[in-house]
Amino acid sequence: MSDLLMYLTNGVVIGIIYALSALGVSLIVGIMNVVNFAHGELYILAGYFSAIFASALGLGPIPAMVLAVAAVFVLGLLLEWTLIRPTYGDDMYSLIITFILSIILQNAYLFIFGPYPQKPPNWISGASNLFGLFFYGNQRLLCLAVAVGVIAGFFLVLHKTWFGRVVRAVSMDREVAAMLGVNPVRVNLLAFGLGCALAGAAGVILTPIFPVTPTVGVGVSLTAFVVVVLGGMGSFSGCVVGGLILGLVENLGAAYLDSGYKHLFGFVILIMVLFFRPAGLFGQKQL
Amino acid sequence: MTMRHPKDSSGRQELLPWLAVLALFLTFPAWLGEYWLGSAIVGLFYVMMAASWNLLAGFTGQVSFAHAAFAGVGAYTSGILAVKLGLHPLLGVPIGVAAAALLSLGLGALCIRMGGIYLSLTTLAFSEILRLVINNEYQVTRGTMGLKVPFILGDYSKATAFYLMLAAAAVVLLVIRWLLKSDLGLMFRAVQNDEVAADSLGVPVTRIRVTAFVVSGAMAGLAGGLYGHYLTLITPHIPSLDLMFLVLAMAVIGGMGTFAGPVVGALFLEVLAEYIRVWGEFHVLIFSLVALGFARFLPGGIVGLAGAWLARRGTPAGKGGAA
Repeated sequence: MSDLLMYLTNGVVIGIIYALSALGVSLIVGIMNVVNFAHGELYILAGYFSAIFASALGLGPIPAMVLAVAAVFVLGLLLEWTLIRPTYGDDMYSLIITFILSIILQNAYLFIFGPYPQKPPNWISGASNLFGLFFYGNQRLLCLAVAVGVIAGFFLVLHKTWFGRVVRAVSMDREVAAMLGVNPVRVNLLAFGLGCALAGAAGVILTPIFPVTPTVGVGVSLTAFVVVVLGGMGSFSGCVVGGLILGLVENLGAAYLDSGYKHLFGFVILIMVLFFRPAGLFGQKQL
Repeated sequence: MTMRHPKDSSGRQELLPWLAVLALFLTFPAWLGEYWLGSAIVGLFYVMMAASWNLLAGFTGQVSFAHAAFAGVGAYTSGILAVKLGLHPLLGVPIGVAAAALLSLGLGALCIRMGGIYLSLTTLAFSEILRLVINNEYQVTRGTMGLKVPFILGDYSKATAFYLMLAAAAVVLLVIRWLLKSDLGLMFRAVQNDEVAADSLGVPVTRIRVTAFVVSGAMAGLAGGLYGHYLTLITPHIPSLDLMFLVLAMAVIGGMGTFAGPVVGALFLEVLAEYIRVWGEFHVLIFSLVALGFARFLPGGIVGLAGAWLARRGTPAGKGGAA
């Protein structure tokens, strides 16, 4: 019983961070119809930045994280401006360009940061007794709290601000939104930057638990894609539900079935969704 | 992505440079030396891979990230049959091709009706599944150690492997050329240019796309099977995303959506790789930066550049040496 509860807790912690990372992919897909194959590499970059800012600049964990996410946000704006904007209307070229970008970044990280895993210092030490049954690392609990906070903030922006209304309008119907006076170029720029920043946020939150290496980005991207397809392309609440489902399935599956195939469960889910419900759990539109 | 009528180039005359290149390649084993002959074999493997990937991406507008994975399916199927059952590679390779074709049929039927982005996502996931399975099923695949397999035909000889590879590459290119000139090729381009228009004119869009995906997957299986039995050691490098990236870069740098582009790109990058080998690990970074530059600024690739240059000089296109 206490084992099961521990696996469930793990599943929720990881699942929420999967959801956070997938929100970034979903935002860019919903607004721009572009899948960013370098998503995982931006997640890693934020992880490296948070480690370096903490060690080299001697910043505390929170300023280091904020600075890392801000840096990835600016990089996202630059990438959109220089690489993605010329591909508007040609989905194939945006796929190819972001895929090439992911290879460039992987190889660049190898030279700049080296092949060894890197992590920032933990924000907090010790463990808490959960449900009176088992001890659980405080770091993980704090990660969960921060991730929930960021997601809540995202939904607040989405539903309470002008920008959020524009985002929802464009992802519902791009052309009508443009007719009503939304500047699509500026929205695209901001959406891409924010999508990258969400990848970065997931990266800085998870790096203290799972250190980053130059090549873990592929897995991060794929996980986010599975969550987006499961939740439904362009659906934000779908990302949260999808992330939780994937986190729980992976952790329970690894515990009770086969740990070597932990990441295979995500792909099984992907295949099943495509087979039984291709639009995803909350998907209204098909791309 | 301009629409070109498939019969706009005069057929016979266009074949001449290709025959010249083939004749040149046929003489390679006589004078090229063991080392460069090995490079030529690898180059021909990449020619098959890039040309068949381009058939899908350049002519039907679908980006698959499972092309290297299908080469791996071909290689591992044939290799495992040879090791476990003692099956001759010349029988095993066709079975590997069939396995790659069947898997692409399954994947294609599953996700192509959902549109292009889903194919890219699902093929990337498939490629990752295959990597996990190969690493986990250590007893069968030998994991990252690599699977020792017999040489393709008779005693080890690079000349034998070269001629087999050359024949296979010629067949693959001929089939692609024939497909592009046929009605099916016209439908490929109709599907790429305007899906809705093609659909409204009675083109079975999904079936055309799945067909292109299966043909291209089978060709990757053939290339991978032959390559594995030439190396005599099948490692997870064949179905890796690194190799996938090289194939994509070759097609992009050579010129996607043209027949000659991937061939030029594959041979160019393979020769370039030999010269910048001294820079070690830097070479993937250099390739990826060059590929990004082409994708961003010169989507027509080397072939597009050459075509524009010839047009500016007023020479009729079609003359001028290939490769």
